[in-house]
Amino acid sequence: MKNRFNKSILILSLAGVISGVSSCKKSYLEPQPLSFYSPENAYIDAAGMRAALVACARNARIEYYGDNPPILTEMVFSEVTAEGTTDKSGPAQDLNLLITPDAATRYDDADHARLQYYWREGYKGIKYANTVITRIDDAKYSSEAERNAILGSAYFHRALRYYRLVHQFGDVPAVMVELNFPKLDFFSTKREVILERMKQDLEFAQQWVTDGVNRGEVTKGAVSHLLTKVNLALGKFDDAIASASNVINGGVYSLMRNPFGATKKNVIWDLHRPENKSLGENKEGLFMLIDRFGDGQFDGGIRIMRQAVPYFGTNITTPSGKKGTNDAASSTAITGFVSQSNLYGRGIGRARPTNYSQYDIWTDPNDLRHAPGNWMNMEDLVYNEPGLKTTNDPWYLKNLQLRNATGGILCVDTIRSWFGWPQYKMFIPDAENTPMQGGHTDWYVFRLAETYLLRAEAYFWKGDLANAAADINQVRSRAQAASIAAGAVNMGMILDERARELYFEEPRKTELTRISYIFAKTGKAAENGKTYSLNNFSDVNYFYDRVKAKNNFYATGIRTIHNDQYTISPYHVLWPVPSNAIQANSNGTINQNKGYIGFEGNVPPLDKIPD
Amino acid sequence: MLLHLKILFRLSFCNRLHLLALALVIPLFSLAQEQTISGQVKGKNNAPLEGVTVVLKGTTRGTSTSSEGRFTIEKVPANGVLIFSYTGFASQEISVRGNTSIDVTMEDQTASLNEVVVVGYGTQKKKDLTGAIGSVKATKLENENPGTVQDILRGNVPGLNISQINAASAKGGGDLLLRGKSSIRAGTSPLIVLDGVIYPGDLSDVNPNDIATVDVLKDASSAAVFGAKSASGVILITTKKGTGRKPTITVNSNFGVATLAQNEELYDGPGFVNWRSDVQKSRNVSSTKLYIFDNPDNLPPGVTLPQWMDGRTGDPTEIWLDRLGLRPIEIKNYKAGKTIDWYDKMFQTGLRHDYTVSLSGKKDEVSYYMSLGYMNNEGVIVGDEFKTIRGRLNLEGRVAKFFTAGINLQFADRDESQVPVNWGQMVNASPYGEIYTDDGLLLRDSPNDDIGNNTNPFMDNTYTNRLQKYNTLFSTIYAKGSLPLGFSYQVNFTPSFEFYRYFNGISAQHLTYRVRKGVATRTTKTTYNWQVDNLLKWERAFGQHQFDVTVLYNVEKYQSWREQMDNEGFDPSDVLSWHNIGAGIKPIVSSEDEISTGNALMGRLNYTFKDRYMLTASFRRDGYSAFGQQNPYADFPALAVGWVFTEESFLESVSWLDHGKLRVSYGLNGNRDIPRYQALSDLSTGKYQYISPSGAIIPVSQLYVNRMSNPDLKWERTASFNIGLDFAILRNRISASIDVYKKATEDLLIQRLLPNTTGFDNVIANLGEVQNKGFEISLNTENITNPNFSWRTNIGFWVNRNEIKHLYGPVNLLDAQGKVIGQVEKDDIPNRWFIGHDLDEVWDQKVLGVWQQAEKAEAAKYGLAPGDFKVEDVNADGTYSDADRQFLGFRSPRYQWTFRNDFIIYKNIDFSFQLYSSWGQLNDYNQAKNNSGFQDRQNSYKFPYWKEATPTTDYARLYSSNGSATYSVYRKTSFIRLNTVALGYTFNKKLLQRASIETMKIYANVSNPFMYSPDWTYWDAEYRNRASDGVISTAIAPTVYTIGLNVTF
Repeated sequence: MKNRFNKSILILSLAGVISGVSSCKKSYLEPQPLSFYSPENAYIDAAGMRAALVACARNARIEYYGDNPPILTEMVFSEVTAEGTTDKSGPAQDLNLLITPDAATRYDDADHARLQYYWREGYKGIKYANTVITRIDDAKYSSEAERNAILGSAYFHRALRYYRLVHQFGDVPAVMVELNFPKLDFFSTKREVILERMKQDLEFAQQWVTDGVNRGEVTKGAVSHLLTKVNLALGKFDDAIASASNVINGGVYSLMRNPFGATKKNVIWDLHRPENKSLGENKEGLFMLIDRFGDGQFDGGIRIMRQAVPYFGTNITTPSGKKGTNDAASSTAITGFVSQSNLYGRGIGRARPTNYSQYDIWTDPNDLRHAPGNWMNMEDLVYNEPGLKTTNDPWYLKNLQLRNATGGILCVDTIRSWFGWPQYKMFIPDAENTPMQGGHTDWYVFRLAETYLLRAEAYFWKGDLANAAADINQVRSRAQAASIAAGAVNMGMILDERARELYFEEPRKTELTRISYIFAKTGKAAENGKTYSLNNFSDVNYFYDRVKAKNNFYATGIRTIHNDQYTISPYHVLWPVPSNAIQANSNGTINQNKGYIGFEGNVPPLDKIPD
Repeated sequence: MLLHLKILFRLSFCNRLHLLALALVIPLFSLAQEQTISGQVKGKNNAPLEGVTVVLKGTTRGTSTSSEGRFTIEKVPANGVLIFSYTGFASQEISVRGNTSIDVTMEDQTASLNEVVVVGYGTQKKKDLTGAIGSVKATKLENENPGTVQDILRGNVPGLNISQINAASAKGGGDLLLRGKSSIRAGTSPLIVLDGVIYPGDLSDVNPNDIATVDVLKDASSAAVFGAKSASGVILITTKKGTGRKPTITVNSNFGVATLAQNEELYDGPGFVNWRSDVQKSRNVSSTKLYIFDNPDNLPPGVTLPQWMDGRTGDPTEIWLDRLGLRPIEIKNYKAGKTIDWYDKMFQTGLRHDYTVSLSGKKDEVSYYMSLGYMNNEGVIVGDEFKTIRGRLNLEGRVAKFFTAGINLQFADRDESQVPVNWGQMVNASPYGEIYTDDGLLLRDSPNDDIGNNTNPFMDNTYTNRLQKYNTLFSTIYAKGSLPLGFSYQVNFTPSFEFYRYFNGISAQHLTYRVRKGVATRTTKTTYNWQVDNLLKWERAFGQHQFDVTVLYNVEKYQSWREQMDNEGFDPSDVLSWHNIGAGIKPIVSSEDEISTGNALMGRLNYTFKDRYMLTASFRRDGYSAFGQQNPYADFPALAVGWVFTEESFLESVSWLDHGKLRVSYGLNGNRDIPRYQALSDLSTGKYQYISPSGAIIPVSQLYVNRMSNPDLKWERTASFNIGLDFAILRNRISASIDVYKKATEDLLIQRLLPNTTGFDNVIANLGEVQNKGFEISLNTENITNPNFSWRTNIGFWVNRNEIKHLYGPVNLLDAQGKVIGQVEKDDIPNRWFIGHDLDEVWDQKVLGVWQQAEKAEAAKYGLAPGDFKVEDVNADGTYSDADRQFLGFRSPRYQWTFRNDFIIYKNIDFSFQLYSSWGQLNDYNQAKNNSGFQDRQNSYKFPYWKEATPTTDYARLYSSNGSATYSVYRKTSFIRLNTVALGYTFNKKLLQRASIETMKIYANVSNPFMYSPDWTYWDAEYRNRASDGVISTAIAPTVYTIGLNVTF
């Protein structure tokens, strides 16, 4: 009896345990994020939206910073550089072999071309911008103007990505809204359709985005500059002249013509000093990337000296047969060591200038951009190897020479270890790497000098060579180079000026492809006498003819000491879409470009922006 | 204790309710009828056994047998159960069933089926098991002195793989994988249960000396009681408890040395120069003057010195070495004949110490086991060290006749501050380099003054000031009581803490941080995890029907708090490092906190009829906060049956068959092992800067959507089917278990690849199905059982096969007009996942051999030269792409076996050895390409290489080119390893008695003395790992020699 009584109480009390706990269940399992924001609690005001724009600006920085920055890939698909890494398989030299949709998927690293970067980060930038655009009316603003300025800035960032993507990859999927579900049915949209939409967006932005904001933020000047490029790409040359003139004549920006800033050495030197780029008195920068020492979350700086300075610490022998150079920052072996890496950085010669960019275009001896002190040649360096001093070698601290008295060559790898470079751009003192690789600095994405050259191009397309020459001469005269005559203006000449002025700034391949499209669209004869058509764009185009003619590496099929040959083909005018994007898109078709595996699976591109 | 009480009071309301309920339950405990029981215990040949422990089940009350094997135990309930245990013999549980006299014959352990096996939330006799469970008696491995829990398990449980890659360091350990990989994205480590409660800590905090048994739940039915955490299997660790009235002090002390198990030689000075000469010749393959790389003192026929000089002037030897890329320091040392043996500097003979003292016993109402251990291991790599102090207290007291309370407490202080030398740099360093600068004190930044290509291997080791410590406290406070009518109730409260400190300072003398004037980081993380288990059990027999019911209610909560401070640019100097983190000029602070909650309800019935038909049915419902809010709960049912067919009358006449049982089980298991906030969309933050018009730096913060949310995310479910056969024949001389299983894992937690045009690379989702099937055989034989010589063998053999059944579901198949003509399920090519293939299958371009001189023209079409690997161009289009990839084999073993032998000689000498083997698996062997690193600036391991004069087909030329192919070379890492050899000597009891010593044993063992791998030649085949991101790492295998002493007072 007692047992039975106990039992029933027991069951009751246990039921109590369980039900008592059950009553707490519902909220008990709700996840509680503690250390990160959610879209719902962040994108509610102008501050949240501006933080979203910071993501866009910060994303743009990757293109120029770090080891093997993506911009190098833009440069090797052009006349200005070749990939100079001669000691391994993988670097983009034999483009015919290496540039494939699969390789673009697998490799996005220091040893390979960075096509995947442009594709993936391009769409990431679009995602960041679309977050603002889609949610623009979820947040509260102090005024309509504030809302529209933020929206316009987001339009700028989106247009910047699409402008690049359509000239790198041709027709691409057009994503204009924030995606919060696994979309698997993308189709490519025609390049012109995307560009038209960008034109429309930028025209809105041009009305609302203002100048005089913080450097690093979107300016009205930057919007108009990008709009100029879009207008050119669409063949709307009058619109391009108008949008470029908005910047040039807007009264906010002007070319720097005199020494200025903290350095006051010469204007070209001063213009590219880290401490001067974002100065208030510098009126030339339209859109800047910012990277200063401090918590900007970019360790190690720009590392540009590592990329663009020759690998001078090795491969160079004195006429006496000894190792001649040393790229250490210091030496304990001798006193009075002359550290050249403290002056030039420790280069590894990735960005190898071509004969075109280091010799052929420098015809004016007064050009400040190639003046001694601004521009470095190998002969300006000295034999500084401590071992020379300890062996009392007569060549110690003498200037380098390429050949000995009998004509024997003293550099075993001239691709990688023997070339000149614009010291005024590359010299970025580095307080974080030993030896220096290139420290923290701001960088110009858009600069007024390019606006002049864009307007010059628009005039050129219209056949107004006088105005074209006038704009080019603005840029030339600032560099103390002689003016050119209107009759000398052609596309090649404009590209030469771009190469002189915008080395390591402009995305050279994007611009060449844009120009190639214009040639193909207008049928205008190029300086080589040829005309082009959109019908066989990937087979015959200005891009290939120009690169093949001017880039001596591809032109003559030079081989590296690793036995890799430099090659390029006409279809490289457009890069392959990385195959992973195509493969993951189960229910749709992202088109592949002609010349690459997968092209045969294409469907006609959309002629509208999908909803 | 006080601390724990405080924690108890800090519990949430929910949990206070549990305690309240417990308080309500306690007074209801009552007593049934009791009696005194006596009897005799005998061993083999009816010899009385002295010192057998007799305990009343569910209590700590007990006694031990006299020299005649007799015992008397009072106040035993009529329905009570007595447990008889004795070292070397299987424990037995005998139901009193009203008897007052019980005689017991103890059976030798191996032959016994009455052995008690720990199952989830309880124990079962081995003979009543319905599931596939592997058991290891840790106490039987004493001679092998296992240093970690993994060492106890390695090679002793069929179906369980323990990787060596993380085991190579001084810390030891290794990742566990049971019955193949069933998940792609979620974790695949088995759940660890320590003394009945889920253990969230690090296995290295459990002192192997404290472990009594380890049981491994392999099939779904056994594991299903752990529901959502059980899909990768469950490992149950049971620590020692006090037995015997006399306090026992055990001292286990051992000393060992670890040495390199394998050598992978580097070129010495002359060999190095010779190799570099070949490197240059191969690198300048298109050159017509390759003789310039020959030694000027030994020029090939027909080459004159002036020719060789090739326009250069100076000392020919210097010119030659310069052409080989040797730096001045190397040239100087070459001329002086001075070399460094880097190999020797990187590796050492590591000393190992391990001491554990324990005190245990049982007196009246209290049983206790306490231990303190100190371990200090040096690794074979210079600078590798692991230190830990581990303490344990297992205390159980009978508060009232019907009520027992106890605490299991584990404390560990784990020191992982080691900064080993960067041994990987030894290949980059030159044998003609130098460690120190010319002053002989400071480290040279780069041994051959080639910064950027090699750094001094001692750099991090010398200039890092690191404190990395884990202090952990894991405890279980429990109360249990027997209730009338066979009921019992237990509540466990399990708080566990981890205090983690990572303080790291890199000196301004370190090359990389010199201009930054030192960097330091200071990270602390506190983790607090608690669980409450409520367990109600009911055990009762009605005639030949036995019931055993368990009901569980569990609640858990995880919380962690992490702070990090970084700084650099210390001024005036960085001597204070992280002790004064504020002294730098670039402070960065960050923090990350996490929280998750879960709960569970579980019920299980074990039913036995006539001791020959068994049934286990269980059901568990789990809730977890990390899943999408649409699916916080999941249900995991399981069912198993067993049939002891040898109990049937029709088999009675079969004399050779002693025991036979058939087991069949089916059940669902879950996997919830994903990061806590994976289902939610998060906004990433990050820093950026703007510059104001006046030139001031404005720090700004970014926000972007980093992860696509998935509100529908749910648990991964594995449905497993297991058939097992246990049998013993020839008077138990041979016993075996055979299990066959099939596991289908559905709703895989997977990072579904997205077209990156979405702005996302992937989203976590439940998709696809992976199947594992396989079989396991465990065979034990008693080969010789003479009193003066016995020999026992255990053989394990297992096979697992894996197959992806589904991935992302069907998509429409369109014809040329865009019309849907069917559906097809696509492979995930970027991730290398193919439907119908193994998750670990290799899909790559195939190396056919090496381009030979005669094929020069053909090779040139691919941008290659003779000596480069010839990769199959399947579609013959002249370039390499995915279209040229094919299935080449598997990364996981095709089959595995273990082989163990135990000998007892003259009763006091134990000898054992154990081998294990994995066969048929592939690993990347890109060493064969002879093109990793920068061969013109470094040294190399001695690998074969192709030369025109001595062509090879399996190794490429030096500095070979891959052309446009993107492939790995593969070799089989099949191996057989002699894992342990152990010898023990137990001193004669009579001798010891005079010194008041109860037992004393000395032992010596070697772990990993030998391995055989016919197809692999780069370090140890098993110590090679390929992470999910494809990164390959190689660890250095040690051989450890240990001698030890085990004394009991």
